[in-house]
Amino acid sequence: MNYLLHLLIYLNIYVIVALGLNIIVGYCGRLSLAQAGYFAIGSYAYALASVKLHWGFLPAVALGAGLAALLSLAISLPSWRLKGDFFVMVSLAVQVVILSAIYNWYRPDAQLGTWLNLTNGPAGISGIPRPDIFGIKFDTIGSLAMLATVTAGICLTLGALLLRSPWGRVLQAMRDDELAARGLGKDVRLLKLQAFAIACALIAVGGAIYGAYVNFTDPSIASLDQSVLMLCMVIIGGMGNFRGPLAGALTLLALPELLRFLNIPIALAAEVRLMAYGLLLVLMMHFRPQGLLGSYRIE
Amino acid sequence: MSLILAQACLPVSEAADSPVILRSQGISKAFGGQKVLDGISLQLRRGEVVLLRGDNGSGKTTLLNILSGNIEPDAGTINLSANGSTEIFAFPRPWWKQLNPFDHFTPERLAREGVGRTWQDIRLFSTLNLRDNIAVASPDQLGENPLLALFKNSAIRKQETSNLTESQEMLEDLGLGTRVTASADRVSLGQSKRVAISRAARAGARILFLDEPLAGLDGAGIKQVLNMLEALVRDENVTLVIVEHVFNIPLLLNWATTVWTLKRGHFSVQLPAEVQEEVKADGVNNLRSWMLELAGSDGQIIDRPLAGGATFSTVIPSGRQPGKVLLEVSRLMVHRGSRLIIGDGSNHPTEGMSFTLREGEVCVLQAPNGWGKSTLLDAIVGLLPISNGEIRLRGQPIQSLSAWDRANLGLTFLQSRNNTFSNLTVEESLRLTEQVSLPESLSPLLTRKISDLSGGQKQKLAIYTALRSDQSRIRLLDEPFSMLDRASIQQLQSTLRPGTGEAILISIPGNPEIQGDGKSEYE
Repeated sequence: MNYLLHLLIYLNIYVIVALGLNIIVGYCGRLSLAQAGYFAIGSYAYALASVKLHWGFLPAVALGAGLAALLSLAISLPSWRLKGDFFVMVSLAVQVVILSAIYNWYRPDAQLGTWLNLTNGPAGISGIPRPDIFGIKFDTIGSLAMLATVTAGICLTLGALLLRSPWGRVLQAMRDDELAARGLGKDVRLLKLQAFAIACALIAVGGAIYGAYVNFTDPSIASLDQSVLMLCMVIIGGMGNFRGPLAGALTLLALPELLRFLNIPIALAAEVRLMAYGLLLVLMMHFRPQGLLGSYRIE
Repeated sequence: MSLILAQACLPVSEAADSPVILRSQGISKAFGGQKVLDGISLQLRRGEVVLLRGDNGSGKTTLLNILSGNIEPDAGTINLSANGSTEIFAFPRPWWKQLNPFDHFTPERLAREGVGRTWQDIRLFSTLNLRDNIAVASPDQLGENPLLALFKNSAIRKQETSNLTESQEMLEDLGLGTRVTASADRVSLGQSKRVAISRAARAGARILFLDEPLAGLDGAGIKQVLNMLEALVRDENVTLVIVEHVFNIPLLLNWATTVWTLKRGHFSVQLPAEVQEEVKADGVNNLRSWMLELAGSDGQIIDRPLAGGATFSTVIPSGRQPGKVLLEVSRLMVHRGSRLIIGDGSNHPTEGMSFTLREGEVCVLQAPNGWGKSTLLDAIVGLLPISNGEIRLRGQPIQSLSAWDRANLGLTFLQSRNNTFSNLTVEESLRLTEQVSLPESLSPLLTRKISDLSGGQKQKLAIYTALRSDQSRIRLLDEPFSMLDRASIQQLQSTLRPGTGEAILISIPGNPEIQGDGKSEYE
């Protein structure tokens, strides 16, 4: 049972992440590799706020989401002018900068949470307390699964309200033809700032729940591998609607679990999993470029 | 029709009394050191209908792009008062103004000032349905603020409901009431053009720049677009500036109040009556006249009516006997995606499309938009798989061969769009197709990147490479006259004469009555 609840928590985390990333990839038409960085920002902000400032779950998550929204300027400002390969390179650079900052923003002799040691470097931050909302403790795996499910539900509802509104419609218009949208008087720069901020905030919420569940966060969550995994969820599941990211998160989460039953030696399991992701991507690109349930294919 | 249109817009004298809503002075623009526009001054009045004409590369699209905010001129001023308030843009802009992100000369800013435009390639939002394509253009929508969209209060809901209802009504007025939820990439060219014009009007355009709104349309499509433009001028007093293909200029001359002519970067304003005389004097052969001229006194033109309002005409030039069969298409059926295009029983015989192309012949396929002309040619050259039937080239079946194998066997194809390599220079493109001699009109463009050329220049280059390729004997040309100016069309018409062992198949939108001298079914 615990195993299934564990999977449910992970599924909810990645649904939130895929939902956010879908706004960037599926609704803004920009392929990004910086998402793991924003996931880590959410996780670290949550960890620091709860460990050092003893903030509750909600303000700590809000801090992570707000910080990620603010730092989304690092990719939204370049998106004013760049798209395609150039934007991918910029997002990769942002991801590398965030990863480097997390690795290096520490001094062994300085106390965690000070300006000299904000991230604790490669050792990461441990002892992150379980969520606490208005005095209610979520310290069992069942209650955590419920919290993650409710949070994912709220995020999905907010996403649905936004993306099915005139804002979502103008976002799709901008993605389809930016120049035509501008010719109708649409401020595409403002739109991109808004969309990237909302997307990065959602991804950071996923990161915060991850930190709260695992009680630990370290730089590995900001790695390029993580970014690629998140991107695969959106591409394989499908872009430009709600069903796609859900299907993507479910598929990529289920795949390694299914591989467990094949009794592959542990030393090989990670490589086999990566190969399976790669194979799945190649097959999808060839046979179903819009993803499993997507309604848009990125050029 | 022309009479109705003439009454619909403001008479010339009345247009002359209307307030000036756009004035530009000394507009200049150069690309890569080559001056395209040189000190152009012009003004636009409310309710005016302007026809903008000029040869290929004369700067029509550049002028349109400048006046709609898509590119900044190098020098000059633009004074805009379409929406009541006056905005003055002076160029070159000082560097400190460039730093202010809220004070840029951009299409979105001009659109909010009442300047709209449509594009040659239409640019509907392909993943939105037709209603949303129009609804998205509505200005000042509260729901476009994400914070307000989250709360979705009654004001937003009311505004959105009324926006969708009005957009749907606009579609019903266009006769597209049954296609409201159709995806924008699933409607015909004519329907797309009308939706694009409605969209610009919905965005609040008081001045509308239209880039070839009639290009590629058949007779019915042209009539519908002209009716729509007429209503915009009559009912909403919108000012129109129309760039149009030379074939369609006579249709607009009956209606325009002013003609702007661009020649080598210089600009002149004329009355339509003066231009009408000029057009009559050096009229381009319409398609039928050209076919008659090609056939000569003893030649033959065999017209074969096809289903769906199409005609397949075969011209056998004077003094030639029908030669051996070079291309034979039998019972061809072609799908595009899941949709059967050729051989569907409505536009084509249910048993599929069949025809032959013999040595020395020029065949002309005239068919309405959406008939499947491009699909047919794509299938013959191997860009689309066929579902049924046979294609034989000099007696050999070729349907199992790849597109490049068919090209190597002597099939040359000129696509109607995307027919050049935009990242190459003209010289590189000519070298790629192993051209040895250079045409005079392309010589000055050799070092320029193809993406920097005008639409007409690109088309000239594409035609030149398609026609001069020595290894080709059977040439399939999809809408070759589009985007060409008068001189280029005349030159192309004189070139389209198959030599020994050669044949040509041309596809044209099916509006034979309105080509050339403007004698149309609408007059």
